[in-house]
Amino acid sequence: MTDLLARIGHFGAFAGRVAVRMVTPPWNHEDFFRHAWTVSVRCLLPVIAVTFPFGLVIGLQGLAIFDLFGAQRLLPSLISVAVLRELSPVLASVLVAAQAGSSYAAELGSMRIKEELDATEIMAVDSVRWHVAPRVAALMLACPILNTVGDLAGLAGGYTMAVVVKGEPSGVFLANLWVFTHPSDVVGGLIKTTIFGAIIGMIACYHGFYATGGAAGVGRAVNDTVVRAALTFFAVNYFLTSALFG
Amino acid sequence: MAEPTDAPVRLVDVHKRFGTLTVLDGVSLDIPRGQTTAIIGPSGTGKSVLLKHIVGLIKPDAGEVSVFGTNMATAPEREVYAVRKRLGMLFQDGALFDSFSTGENIEFPLKQHHAEMSAEQRRARVEEVLAMVELPGLYDRPTPALSGGQRKRVGLARAIVTGPELVLFDEPNSGLDPMTSDAIDALIGHLKETLGITFVVITHDIVGTINVADHIAMLYGGKLVAWGTCAEVTHSEHPIVRRFLGRNLILPAPHDPASARLPSI
Amino acid sequence: MSALAWVGGLAYFAWDWFKVAVTRRPPAGQTLVEAYRIGVQSLPVLLTISVFVGTNLALQGYNAFVPLGGQRLVGMFVAMAGVRELAPLIAAAMIAAKAGTEMASQIAVMRTREQIDALEVMAVNPYWYLVTPRLYAILAVMPALSLIAVFVTVCASYCVAVYQLGLNGPTFLEYARTSTHLRDILTGELKALVFAVIICFVSCYCGFRSEKGPEGVGKATNQAVVLSCILCVSFNYLVSQVLYG
Repeated sequence: MTDLLARIGHFGAFAGRVAVRMVTPPWNHEDFFRHAWTVSVRCLLPVIAVTFPFGLVIGLQGLAIFDLFGAQRLLPSLISVAVLRELSPVLASVLVAAQAGSSYAAELGSMRIKEELDATEIMAVDSVRWHVAPRVAALMLACPILNTVGDLAGLAGGYTMAVVVKGEPSGVFLANLWVFTHPSDVVGGLIKTTIFGAIIGMIACYHGFYATGGAAGVGRAVNDTVVRAALTFFAVNYFLTSALFG
Repeated sequence: MAEPTDAPVRLVDVHKRFGTLTVLDGVSLDIPRGQTTAIIGPSGTGKSVLLKHIVGLIKPDAGEVSVFGTNMATAPEREVYAVRKRLGMLFQDGALFDSFSTGENIEFPLKQHHAEMSAEQRRARVEEVLAMVELPGLYDRPTPALSGGQRKRVGLARAIVTGPELVLFDEPNSGLDPMTSDAIDALIGHLKETLGITFVVITHDIVGTINVADHIAMLYGGKLVAWGTCAEVTHSEHPIVRRFLGRNLILPAPHDPASARLPSI
Repeated sequence: MSALAWVGGLAYFAWDWFKVAVTRRPPAGQTLVEAYRIGVQSLPVLLTISVFVGTNLALQGYNAFVPLGGQRLVGMFVAMAGVRELAPLIAAAMIAAKAGTEMASQIAVMRTREQIDALEVMAVNPYWYLVTPRLYAILAVMPALSLIAVFVTVCASYCVAVYQLGLNGPTFLEYARTSTHLRDILTGELKALVFAVIICFVSCYCGFRSEKGPEGVGKATNQAVVLSCILCVSFNYLVSQVLYG
């Protein structure tokens, strides 16, 4: 138990160092934009590939529920609420953790194993400021962007199921889409994903930064990152949902 | 030179390129049975690639590689595996399984291919082979705890445990300090005497090679620039061969394996 | 590498494994070890995530149904969404993240250290030796884990519904019970088996195809998780469409 607390403390200290370097100059602009771009591009298709089928599935199961009450016209709103508030933020973040989080852990882990991080420090450059801070900041920017993409893909999935597969009238679907949704749903989703992005970034960079043990150590860092990041933001998601939408 | 039909390994006009890089450019070679052949040459000239052709991990673009009469590139998997059961290979870093103990690593090919042996028989054989590589009593040592020299010895033990007719060595001296390197050379020489089987050694350690090998082949630029007995090659007039062996033209006295046997590292 | 070529390669890999392994017994003793590792290692993660999925199901369901005056239906919503769709998929995602990445990284490390070449040279088929125990292990363990995920999700939803949102417990359970049929549970188990196969083959394939060095290991592990998730979600839709469409 004390070991766990010690490790959490160690992580907290690291997160603090990163946070300070994210808000104080000098900043590594180039890497920040480069990472944000790379993450967005590389995660784009995976996010769509996951949120679209989920939209299809919500449409499918939602229709099954609402058919029982003859309330099919409520389906679009259910879909949009589910997607915007919960599904897209969570799914997009899981994918970002799996794709970008694991690749940051792998990159920094490799750099640690090959002593590149040590070399940076010896050249009197702060490796946390130079390598870590831009990555975390990049995820905080990319996650909400990808969330928006996920929103659209999820809605498209719901639309496809209801209109294309099940033959509900398109106009009715679109008209009913926003009945129960508010701008706060979209904003809530964006807030969630910004926070999730920070969580994923911190955890991924932490595991990569402190990787040990050669190539196997890199594998371990990636493994630990995806699992712990997912655990953390699922837990945080609960509290955020209660606070934002409860 | 041995009769062609007697050669356990025959390469006939083997070509191999990776992208734009030609690694093997028409190499023909018959490895003589029961002798130790060293394949030397500067780094990156395709020595390891040649070795992987022999065991069938790589297939040539053109030409033929046959081992014990089987064409390794075209034969079905069953036959390739049958050939592999008759040979052993020592990889550069030993390629041992970290999750097994030392003894379990050596026992692995026995367990897989000799179901007729009982556990006691396997253990006895492993101990026998451990003694041959001068690591008695290390059966239960966890593999990650082995030193570089010990990993090579254990890898070698695993390669000979099934009693193969052919053993291949991929740079047995790489990554070892001079003392350990000498010890490995001595071990190879000693096993050569004891087992009397065909050895093929890929190396760029000239001095050690000369003391161990009966025949030497030199690869340069993808081609075979020298091939013959140890004496023939070391006295060759070929400019590239002379350049490569140049620093060692004054040959040291032949190694006495007994005197070189230091406590194993 | 184009997506189609990759999927083709994966199918070919699965077929290669099938040819060599289906008529032979798996390597002795390893299946149980793997099953234990996969099951025990994934369990804490699975439980935790299931709890939080359950909590949010209840919260969002409640929010969705309140404007309709249908709070009582939250139990039904949780049962249908959780049991039919979310729980098996969450179980799959967590197994992919934990066990899948381990398979990929172990095999990738072996490739880097020439251990797979060594297996081949010792005339042991690496697909048979490395994939078979992992596949049988994950097939054995996944249905149980999926069932646990379902159970924990519903329990967590119940707790939130009753203790945080103040709904009526028995009503919740009544609606949940009547909306859940045996068919739904079995569908979930079937999905779990499909996901298990996907995760195992994808992760092992990524490991076998990895490049050398620590970067290769990292990349392979990365690919394994992402592609497992994408394929599982896609198959999830297909299975649901067929069985519920």
